[in-house]
Amino acid sequence: MTKEPSVISEWLHRCIRCGNCKYIFRDYDKSCPSGQHYRFESYFASGKIWIARGIESKELDFDESLLGPIFSCPTCGSCEIQCQAPHQEHIVDIIEELRAHAVETLGPLPKHKGFLEKIQKHNNPYGEIHHNRELVNIHGLPDKAENVYFVGCTSNYRETSIRDATIHILKTSGMNFTVIDEVCCGSPLLRTGQRAEVKKLVKHNLVKIKEAGAKRIITSCAGCFRTIKKDYQKFEKDFKLEVIHISQLLPSLIESGRLTFKHTKDSPRITYHDPCHLGRHMGVYNEPRNVISVLPVEMVEMSRNRENAWCCGAGGGCRAAFPEFSLATGKVRIAEADEIGAELLVSTCPFCVSQLREVNDTDMKVLDLTELLSSLIR
Amino acid sequence: MIIKKLCKVVGDQYVSESTGERYIYSQDMTENEPCQPIAIVMPESVEEIQAILKIANETKTRIVPFITGQNVGGLTIPQVEESIIIDLKRMDKILQVDEEAMYALVEPGVTFGHMRRYLDAHHPELRYTYPLAPPYTSVVANALLQGLCDLSTRHGAMADFVNGLEAVLPTGELVRVGSGILGEDNWFGRYPLPDLVGLFSGWQGMSGIVTKMALQLFPKPPHIEHAALFTFGEEPTTEILKRIARKQILDDADCMSLSLVKMLLGVDYPVEALDGEPDYATLIAVSGNTEREVLEKLSVVEDEMERAKSKEPRQLLVTWDAISKLMGEQARSWIDFPSDAFKILTEFDGLTWVGTYIHPKAWGKALAGGRKIVERYEFELMAFLKPMNGMHFAEFKFIIRFPKDIENIERVKRCNSELLDFALDNGAIPYKTPVWAAKKLQERIDPQFIALLRRIKRSLDPNNIMNPGRWNL
Repeated sequence: MTKEPSVISEWLHRCIRCGNCKYIFRDYDKSCPSGQHYRFESYFASGKIWIARGIESKELDFDESLLGPIFSCPTCGSCEIQCQAPHQEHIVDIIEELRAHAVETLGPLPKHKGFLEKIQKHNNPYGEIHHNRELVNIHGLPDKAENVYFVGCTSNYRETSIRDATIHILKTSGMNFTVIDEVCCGSPLLRTGQRAEVKKLVKHNLVKIKEAGAKRIITSCAGCFRTIKKDYQKFEKDFKLEVIHISQLLPSLIESGRLTFKHTKDSPRITYHDPCHLGRHMGVYNEPRNVISVLPVEMVEMSRNRENAWCCGAGGGCRAAFPEFSLATGKVRIAEADEIGAELLVSTCPFCVSQLREVNDTDMKVLDLTELLSSLIR
Repeated sequence: MIIKKLCKVVGDQYVSESTGERYIYSQDMTENEPCQPIAIVMPESVEEIQAILKIANETKTRIVPFITGQNVGGLTIPQVEESIIIDLKRMDKILQVDEEAMYALVEPGVTFGHMRRYLDAHHPELRYTYPLAPPYTSVVANALLQGLCDLSTRHGAMADFVNGLEAVLPTGELVRVGSGILGEDNWFGRYPLPDLVGLFSGWQGMSGIVTKMALQLFPKPPHIEHAALFTFGEEPTTEILKRIARKQILDDADCMSLSLVKMLLGVDYPVEALDGEPDYATLIAVSGNTEREVLEKLSVVEDEMERAKSKEPRQLLVTWDAISKLMGEQARSWIDFPSDAFKILTEFDGLTWVGTYIHPKAWGKALAGGRKIVERYEFELMAFLKPMNGMHFAEFKFIIRFPKDIENIERVKRCNSELLDFALDNGAIPYKTPVWAAKKLQERIDPQFIALLRRIKRSLDPNNIMNPGRWNL
């Protein structure tokens, strides 16, 4: 077991396995992607908590058969919303600590080990050639600025139109910003129990942000946002920089008139998918909706939204290690959006967007909010 | 070998021998001893269950049925080694709701939460009944275990709501009992027929696997009102309850130690009884087709409370308006079924009770005697008493929430053992009976009853594959 304060020990005798974590509180719709897919008890949050209790109390030893239940969870955090017991706010932490113990004992899952190797070699989990600093020249950004746009690996190496749209928005609105020679924020490692390497990544990024003289970090990725704002202080106690997600910045840019939008003939029917790392993990629900409300679109909500939103299935290392489960989970979300007749499914996380695009077999378009906004800027 | 056969029936992904699964399914929240199954299998259809039981019979493999494991009696923990657990949660369809005869035909995986959601969406004029349990408790399991609910004061135990059922016998045959034997869409009742629901009700999964159950629904009354009684003393409290229950106007009456209400209000563990505060809070629910009907019923309660006050002026009836102001959002938790009130029982990973059904003459004595035992073991006071089926009997229990460590488990075992002896002394019959409690019961009851049970069990299950050892048979 780790020498850090153990959240498993702290909440060892709390979960009664009542099942509240499995379904939406007072609504009774499904809420747990992993449990719903695999159906056995160990795949629900309560089952994982009992496995953690079994390991901690030495009634259970780690073996390979435990890895599926422990890792095939997107750590979407819906269980934390639905649970009514005293440990409710700590369930994801319990699962992540359990993962760290599993990695210490049995090593990481092969696909997750790939994240680490690629980050060590290329500074990003995709194994792409590291190029972030080139953006300074491409976009004529200053060396130092009040704001750092932390691009994130998915925007930088996969969903690059989200990166470009974000830069377009920031430049159009006259923001004083730059980008740094960033490396992976560490999220893929933290979510998959590989904690050892993260401190180095945190240190590198914070040094570069300091060198840029920035007072604020802006992210367009919900995962980076959660990691930098919530997890970095576990590694750097003095970390006090302001961290915001682009969706939190947009309302003020619009209100102040720094962003204005074209008039369009059509008002497409649009729905919003709450990324778990922005919504449940960080409590940001209203800002993206407020932005959408000023656009020439017709907003409709899916039946499960805000804190009860169904996860896209990509997070927690699931897309790499458990693709069948992950894609099936994403398809459920696509079906939910399609059911209400949405023409556009908008989110605020490149990883969610990437996943939902991958599984989308309908005519509906999947966009990041920055992409939508960028296309409408006058 | 058997695992391969099971995989062939349900598919590899629905059979698990994993360490984690075997650990989780080996125990529940109670103090009952764990016992690991060798595997868990998760069928989706009647045909798959039949195939599984035929294989089990050929190989003499022991089978334990499981749905959500919320029985608070250790009833899904195998009693013998090398058992296989059949988890029925994939069979979760509400097959039919008959508006006219007011029943629902459901599979075993349907939970109270799902029933509520479905009825609210599709049949808003009908309701089912809900227990003080998590919403994700099986409707079928609770009926088979003869549990109670929020209409029990009026209508009795949940087993009384069963119109009929379909079951796979241990030998693999599919049988039906109740009016559904005449065909589909005809599950209106159990009579006039030999009442074979009794071959499955109360048997704790020893006589077969129920695959469908028809359950009575009830009209959702347009007017429902709640109130609370705050009372002092065991005998005076139960006297008031009896007088009011005999008026036959209540939908429900839940008498509980005041501690339970304090828990709802957020008082931290351990909740202690303070001098001068009421001993008991009783939540009452009345309903009617008109507001006037409801008010008249409440006035009957008021009259009875006035009478009680003449003996003990501190006895108090409090309107729901006042309760809402006093408790805020938590007032809703007290009456919101299925889900909310149960949360006070999720303080720790351990929860247990000795639950019994008991004659009205013993109610006051039971509350007083049980209280002494619980206080001696230094657990929180969490008594619960509900008049059932008009006034014919009551459900009576002391709930204990506890951290499931070795020391507490041993303390709980001793306390529960004493509580059960005391309950049996007072003619109470334990329900959702764990094996240790069944043993104690069997020491006192008519031996011919046990002989009859064994004879029926042998006849239905010649190889004794269904949940052997359960109920100490």
